[in-house]
Amino acid sequence: MKRNRLTRGALLTAAALTIFLVEMMIPPIVPIPGVKLGLANIITLVAMMLIGPVDTLLILLARILLGGMFSGQIMSILYSFSGGILCYLTMLLLRKHIALSQIWAMSIVGAIAHNIGQIAMAILVTRTWELILYLPVLMVSGILTGLFTGLAAQAAAVKLKGKL
Amino acid sequence: MKRKNAAIRYLPVILLLIFLLTGCTASGPAQSLPAERTTFAMDTLMELKAYCGDDVLDRCVERIAELEKIFSVTDPESEIYSLNDTGTSVLGNDASILLKEALSLCERTGGALDISIYPVVRAWGFTTGEYRIPAKEELAELRKRVDYSKVEMNGSSVSIPDGMMIDLGSVAKGYCSDCLAEMLKEAGVKSALLNLGGNIYALGTKPDGTKWNIGIQDPNGSGYLGVLKASDLAVITSGGYERYFEENGKVYWHIMDPATGEPASSGLISVSVIGSRGVVCDGLSTALFVMGLDRAAQMWRDSEDFEAVFVTDTGSIYITEGLKDDFHTAGAYASEEIQVITHE
Amino acid sequence: MNKTIRTRTWILLFAVLLMASLAMTAWIMRRKAPGTTACIYSDGVLIRTVDLNSVTESFEFSVISERGENRIRVEPGRICVVDADCRDQICVKKGWLSESATPIVCLPHRLVIRLEAGSADVDAVSR
Repeated sequence: MKRNRLTRGALLTAAALTIFLVEMMIPPIVPIPGVKLGLANIITLVAMMLIGPVDTLLILLARILLGGMFSGQIMSILYSFSGGILCYLTMLLLRKHIALSQIWAMSIVGAIAHNIGQIAMAILVTRTWELILYLPVLMVSGILTGLFTGLAAQAAAVKLKGKL
Repeated sequence: MKRKNAAIRYLPVILLLIFLLTGCTASGPAQSLPAERTTFAMDTLMELKAYCGDDVLDRCVERIAELEKIFSVTDPESEIYSLNDTGTSVLGNDASILLKEALSLCERTGGALDISIYPVVRAWGFTTGEYRIPAKEELAELRKRVDYSKVEMNGSSVSIPDGMMIDLGSVAKGYCSDCLAEMLKEAGVKSALLNLGGNIYALGTKPDGTKWNIGIQDPNGSGYLGVLKASDLAVITSGGYERYFEENGKVYWHIMDPATGEPASSGLISVSVIGSRGVVCDGLSTALFVMGLDRAAQMWRDSEDFEAVFVTDTGSIYITEGLKDDFHTAGAYASEEIQVITHE
Repeated sequence: MNKTIRTRTWILLFAVLLMASLAMTAWIMRRKAPGTTACIYSDGVLIRTVDLNSVTESFEFSVISERGENRIRVEPGRICVVDADCRDQICVKKGWLSESATPIVCLPHRLVIRLEAGSADVDAVSR
């Protein structure tokens, strides 16, 4: 049982990490810091719905840390972490009120939370209050990208249900 | 679960409110206007601005007049005039404090600052505006009369050799700013800006709590080359652009190198010295200008009481390490790479 | 099933949020900066200012920190990052900044360029 759990976690972390690193190679579409698809969140969403909050948190943290190291962007760990944790917390709250067919909604809320966390960290780091001006744009992008990754996660979760 | 549902339903409204609130910039509390005085003293325009009552600034203006009367080289009633005239004198409190301070600065700078340079400056015509280039022999003769170490001071009684003339002009404004700052602080003033003809003393902070922004004059133009954030600091600049004349295409400025009796040509065209004591900054700004970048940088490494901004004749800007976070270039100089002088 | 929020509610919520955000974005995009003095911050410290209106000849300079380098170009009335060795190149893609209130940001290098009110911010000039 224990070995099973470890294997599952490692598998999901590897998947998340792969998606994360592949996504990093896609150049940003819009010149606004923080706008990205956030495909790695698919794994977080699936894990949250099918496995449980503790394992999800471990997978998320491992992905952020390793992702930062593998890409050589130690700085980005800070941004990913603040966004990732905030995203995780909202998912934790919503978890019980979400049906499997509503993962897309949780994904959107998570994406928005992620962007808020990231921009807050960026404001702290650069000490530039004006970055808050990017928040509405990030909300729009959060809703759109969140919907996209959410639907992808939903498809995955339906298929994987009971098999993890 | 209905309640949670409702809470989430209101989320957009809450977020909208946050947006709207961030859109409105809060306007600061109304600030009372500062008291201001303008007076002409020590051959220059002095502007005082302080957040305090008018009476405090009136006393400052009186104090300036008092100090001018003591330090003037040309006023026959001044203590310095009488010392130069008779060769010996018993000085009052201010004059003996400043002379002692000035002599120690002359010594500290190895004579790059020399308060007995006056006869040379006069020979070049900088005291009257009738500029001329003295002959080599004339300068050699005059330089024999220049040597601050021959000033003998015993308590408040002073004697100088025959033919020597003392001019405290290179430190008087700095001393004056120290005196005024002290008066203002004693009166409980938390925010004041003293501009004694370009010699700045920034007392405390602006009323909003931020540091004063002091521009540093662009030696090649009319604007400023950079801005320094200062609090409880004197910012004093010496530059060749202040007073100069041209002859046969060559520029001669008023800052003399005591070693040659000619305008200092050290490769620097402007030196700003920043420190808590105006008198030190004033004297050092002249001395470092004479010393040139390398010796000045060494002097900074050996000291702990000042920071500096240097501009070379090639247009490069050098700042000492301590100013790194408080100085930025401006305008035409924005593209200029700032060189930071460090302790190594 | 009554524990879950209805899908209709979610759609409504996101629609409202999307509209509000779009409106805010449009409003912010049209917002003008308080002035034309470009202030360049590295790691939160103001290192340079350029009054874009007084620029007559274009010039370039680099801001170098331990995190990397950004090459900045100034032309009469506008400023941009022309080159940077950061990963995302967002600062370069942002293009010219001339009057907008939204700053140019390079998060990997902690560089911010934003427009502020004029140079009346100098209280006195030392000379």
